[in-house]
Amino acid sequence: MPTPGRKQSDDGPSLPKVERPEKPNPLAERLKKIDPDQAKKYRQRSGQ
Amino acid sequence: MLCGLETEYGLWIEGRGPAEQLEDAAEVVRSYPNPCFVGWDNRFESPRSDLRGFVAKTLSVDPVDAQYDVGRQTPLLDIRADRVLPSGARLYNDHGHPEYATGEGDHSSVTLDDMHGEEVVLAAARAFMTQTGRQVKVYKNNTDFHGASYGTHESYLVPREVPVETLMRSVVPMLVARQILTGAGKVGFEHGTPCDFQISQRAEFFSVLASVDTLYQRPIFNTRDEPHADPTRWMRLHVISGDANRMPSCTRRKLYLVQRAIDCAITDSGPSWDLEDPIKSMESVSKDKNHEFVVETKQGPTTAYEIIESYLDESDLGDECRRLLKAVRSSFELLSRQVDWAAKKKLLELSDAPDPRAVDLAYSDLDPEVSLYQALVDFGEVDSADVRVSSNQSRSFARGLAVQKFSGDLLSVGWRKIVFRQGEVELFPDGVYSEQLSEISDVVEFMRALEGVPRA
Repeated sequence: MPTPGRKQSDDGPSLPKVERPEKPNPLAERLKKIDPDQAKKYRQRSGQ
Repeated sequence: MLCGLETEYGLWIEGRGPAEQLEDAAEVVRSYPNPCFVGWDNRFESPRSDLRGFVAKTLSVDPVDAQYDVGRQTPLLDIRADRVLPSGARLYNDHGHPEYATGEGDHSSVTLDDMHGEEVVLAAARAFMTQTGRQVKVYKNNTDFHGASYGTHESYLVPREVPVETLMRSVVPMLVARQILTGAGKVGFEHGTPCDFQISQRAEFFSVLASVDTLYQRPIFNTRDEPHADPTRWMRLHVISGDANRMPSCTRRKLYLVQRAIDCAITDSGPSWDLEDPIKSMESVSKDKNHEFVVETKQGPTTAYEIIESYLDESDLGDECRRLLKAVRSSFELLSRQVDWAAKKKLLELSDAPDPRAVDLAYSDLDPEVSLYQALVDFGEVDSADVRVSSNQSRSFARGLAVQKFSGDLLSVGWRKIVFRQGEVELFPDGVYSEQLSEISDVVEFMRALEGVPRA
């Protein structure tokens, strides 16, 4: 007779499927901080 | 080999534009808040003298810029706003760009000084911002994406007896090829063949092989004869075709590679590449998205890879270049950690910016809070250059000491001379200026010590 409460096999409980937010890519976060229009308004005199 | 590096920084000021840029850049330089000496000696400047033995009648001017200057009254010297720094470097306004010229030294000390220059220019810009309340951006790049380019120039001291033709034959193939290991990368094109991305900021802005011009109709090989030293013994190779690099390792590599080409010219022992069309090759290498980097020579086609390999020596930097040449072909990840153009390309692949030029510009932004180059450093995506210098015993050390210790006695300071109230002293490019000079507290004794320095 199996002992109550004991495991019957090596298969453990599976992790519940939970929607986890993806780990943010810090580089992608920095990319979002740039001014998207800066290059359009950037004008210089010619140098040497 | 004594060398130096000058970078003209891009300057953007809220509510201002190119028409006001000459005055604005001067004000930014004047705002520099830290100790420095005001009084540059420009007696030995000769931008129209040509290494080939003549003096050009005029220098070309960009016709767009010329429109901004119609009716301008301010004398050029007033607007340069020169500052000499305690390091021996020079900060000034060059055609509307704050320019930092490092002191002279070997490629490692110049690389470190170039990094210091970023801090100097940023400090000036921030002080200007505080004074005026205007937002200011400074960019270490070479283009505004609208057709204007500004330079990053290298200087190398070369014995006068080296024939100019030999020097040009050795250096030009390297200038064309080295961009694959030193280019800063650029989104889009402004001249010539269309492309989405190219490896060099500067490559498409050259239209002649050799001349003294730098502002317009620029040459790959600049022949300005302005040695800033005894002209009977020395000439200065003034390279204007390189990019402004954020990675110190790229800066050092850029200097090393040209020094190798010069060494080959001095010893007349280098490879012999006779390029069919250097101007065309400069652009085609920069824009080759397949990374084949074919260069046509009069003996047949070769590649930028083969050209660079043919100049390398057995030094650590030579080995670094060999590793990176392999990486261009097989390991983009390694390349992106050590070469600016590849790092920029990696950022572009991560970005969904509607205008990718914004990513390009932000890479070169000196403000560490928003700089994308700095972001790569912060997140460990760039390999440290590990630049070490034991001590810089070049004449820039003596110039810096004069500013630090005897500024009250100074009348003017230049690359070649220091004028004290008590007299004038020559700085020798081959002088060995030791640490012991810093122990001298009397100005006349200091002048005597400078006059008597040993020569290498």
